Amino acid sequence: MREFGILGINNRIGRYILRHNKRANYPLVDDKVKTALRADAWGVPMPENYFVISSFGDLKKLPQLVSNMHSFVIKPANGSQGNGIVVVSDVLKDEKGWISFRRSSGKIIGMEEVRHHISGILSGLYSLSGLPDTAIIQQKIDMHPVFNDYCYGGIPDVRVIVHAGFPVMSMVRLPTRDSDGKANLHQGAIGAGINLKDGTTRNAVIKNQVVEKHPDTGHLLNGLVIPHWQEVLELAARCYDMVELGYLGVDIVLTPDHGPILLELNARPGLAIQIANQAGLVPRLKKITQDAPPGLTAKERVALSQSWF
Amino acid sequence: MKRLTPWIVGLLFLIPTGLLVYKSQVLNLSLLPQKVDDVWNFYVSVKPKDAAATSVAFPIPRAGDGLKISEERIRGKGFDTLIDRNSDSAMLTWLSKEPMTKRVSYTARIDITPVIIRKIDKDYTTTYPRQIKKYLKPPVLTPEEEAAVKLLEGAIFEGGEDKSLVARKAFYYVHEEIQRNVKYKTIVDALSTGKGSPLIKARLYAYLLRRKQVPARIVAMLRLPLITDAPEEKHQLTYASEAFLNNRWIAVDTNRGHFGERPDRYLVMHHHFEEIEKTIAKNKVVYTIRADRAVMNKFNKEEYRKDVLRKGSFFSFISLYRLPLPVQNIFNMILLIPLGALVLCLARNIVGIPTFGMFTPILLTMFFRETSLSFGLFFFLSVVAIGCLERYVLDKLYLLAVPRMSIILTLVILLLMVIAFTGLAEFFGASHIGYFPIVIVTAFIERFSIMLTEDGVVNTMKTLLGTLVISILSYSLYSVSTLEILMFTNPEMLFYVMGLLVLIGKYKGYRLSEFIRFRDLIAQVKKKGAM
Repeated sequence: MREFGILGINNRIGRYILRHNKRANYPLVDDKVKTALRADAWGVPMPENYFVISSFGDLKKLPQLVSNMHSFVIKPANGSQGNGIVVVSDVLKDEKGWISFRRSSGKIIGMEEVRHHISGILSGLYSLSGLPDTAIIQQKIDMHPVFNDYCYGGIPDVRVIVHAGFPVMSMVRLPTRDSDGKANLHQGAIGAGINLKDGTTRNAVIKNQVVEKHPDTGHLLNGLVIPHWQEVLELAARCYDMVELGYLGVDIVLTPDHGPILLELNARPGLAIQIANQAGLVPRLKKITQDAPPGLTAKERVALSQSWF
Repeated sequence: MKRLTPWIVGLLFLIPTGLLVYKSQVLNLSLLPQKVDDVWNFYVSVKPKDAAATSVAFPIPRAGDGLKISEERIRGKGFDTLIDRNSDSAMLTWLSKEPMTKRVSYTARIDITPVIIRKIDKDYTTTYPRQIKKYLKPPVLTPEEEAAVKLLEGAIFEGGEDKSLVARKAFYYVHEEIQRNVKYKTIVDALSTGKGSPLIKARLYAYLLRRKQVPARIVAMLRLPLITDAPEEKHQLTYASEAFLNNRWIAVDTNRGHFGERPDRYLVMHHHFEEIEKTIAKNKVVYTIRADRAVMNKFNKEEYRKDVLRKGSFFSFISLYRLPLPVQNIFNMILLIPLGALVLCLARNIVGIPTFGMFTPILLTMFFRETSLSFGLFFFLSVVAIGCLERYVLDKLYLLAVPRMSIILTLVILLLMVIAFTGLAEFFGASHIGYFPIVIVTAFIERFSIMLTEDGVVNTMKTLLGTLVISILSYSLYSVSTLEILMFTNPEMLFYVMGLLVLIGKYKGYRLSEFIRFRDLIAQVKKKGAM
């Protein structure tokens, strides 16, 4: 494994996360409310946060707050791996004014269930630390049409590993029926490695197995060109300047109208990206440690990365 | 920075090594307290069968080879007692003026060490002192028995053997050719069927030796229970032999196959059973014998404590032995926790076994130790079942998180009640349960039910298994009593543990589990390289 430069968990933590990521900066990425504030200040586009629920008392106002919305996403501010996220694609009202919701999966749920879910978030059920958390009610992102044939249920996102501001490796995560529409590799979403130079997918896996076609849509997975690729990488590179974490996972979604926007940041990005790319992270990380000149702009860093990897 | 780690690790290893060397070399303290033998509380009570009898006699253990007796107590109000210690054995007689209606008893503390004589030289003795001669008395045999024994002698002896060899050959025959079976009680039976009771085997052995002019006798003894044995209310007498070779008595057991050895499991009650056979026969006397362990721990901590304090050095001050006993007991247990943490770190960071939370496995191990492994597992799995219940039933009620967890806690209390009522804890050998279950539940159930929701059943079960495997591993480590006492006696060894923990913490290599995780990737990359 060493000869292929595969990064292991211990190495990731000991050499990259502990060395390059200052503990004090973690809340900036772990807490999505804080990320959003920082992103706003830096002019980094993110989904709009409609409102935040931080106490059980706020739950009473929920029906009133959501009654005029068409769609939204409920997220724990400190969640991880996409847990605790509920996507509401339609807000339904019957004649009596009772509100119910249609989830992206098509399932209809009532106000009671939504409230229960949010109270679970508030109790810390989904938070990284298990401590009480806040829930974010966020704008629902629509899927870029290029992915129409590549997804089942939810929307895909692009993960870019950024080391010291340089994009190192990237993949796109495509939801499947198995993953319940979530772009979560653990649950069986597709991970497709992306060539940094041109934004084309070149290899795809489900869990550990190489796949050629999307299991649900049957579409060939290789050769998908991610739109706005340059912008995606520059956005990812800028996130380093924004939160100053030297080893960062940047999750980006592509919107039909506004191009790439930042979905969330991750201070402890997983290692499965190596499987999706069929390549180890270590040589690339080392190259950056050795050869990367300091003081470059995000654009210059992206260009350098693209010439290297 | 780079140099810091080796320095710290070096220091962490040097400190305890220095202390240990100083303790053992300069202070001359051993690193472990000396072992002590098992000490037994021995108890026998007797009553004559005949209601009109005014006396009763029974053999009692006699101090001597491998046997120490203390705290002897004879009970029987208004009786005269008489102990006859003239021979190798002791007989205790209770005498009364009136007929005996109540039981009388004898108790003592007995310390047994094994008796082993490895080197048994050739023996050509021809004359014996007077007190030995009675053990040469030839048996009175019926013509039928005589014929059978003669036939046997022809088969096993060649003639011209020295007495040691006679004793050995007879031993091999009786031990190996005659199966132990309490139903066969005569010599003819034993020789014709190849089966015999312990007594008849001992008898046959003595007869074979005496007919060859080797003094021999039958020993009545008690087999003491092992720690693992179920407690017995009463003990029965069993029998072995002794042969007089090279001017001393050699222990022989044709039933359990010992020659020249008597393990410390056997407590000799009388060395010459024939002499007392009639006295203690079932129609003469009713008796009950009991023996239970007085001292279970194998190390003499008390002596060690005195030793440490006597040295009067710095160590007497920092030794855990100077603390009050209850505090000592706490440390005895918690000093093992860092070892459990070490196992946990190895399992998680080097092997890559997933666990619930960081310290659940350690808590679980402590729980196993507090109760028992089987009970601990049973309880833990019951809690898992409750966790599933919460996931699949309570989830439907949309309860807030804290009340929901409190319901789980209440269910666990109910489970504890069920366990108490049904005697399940005793069934699994757990003495007391304490507050540990509640700690475990709080540490574990919440994470369990979340994981069940988020990562699915398969991953959760893997983690569950990982947690259990690590707990059982540390439990087996904790069960090594020498390790426990070693840590307690030399708590400075905790520095070693810390040194190892620093090393594990510095480990940046792959986890073993990653070889599996990236196996396909490697295979695919290799394949591409080949093309």
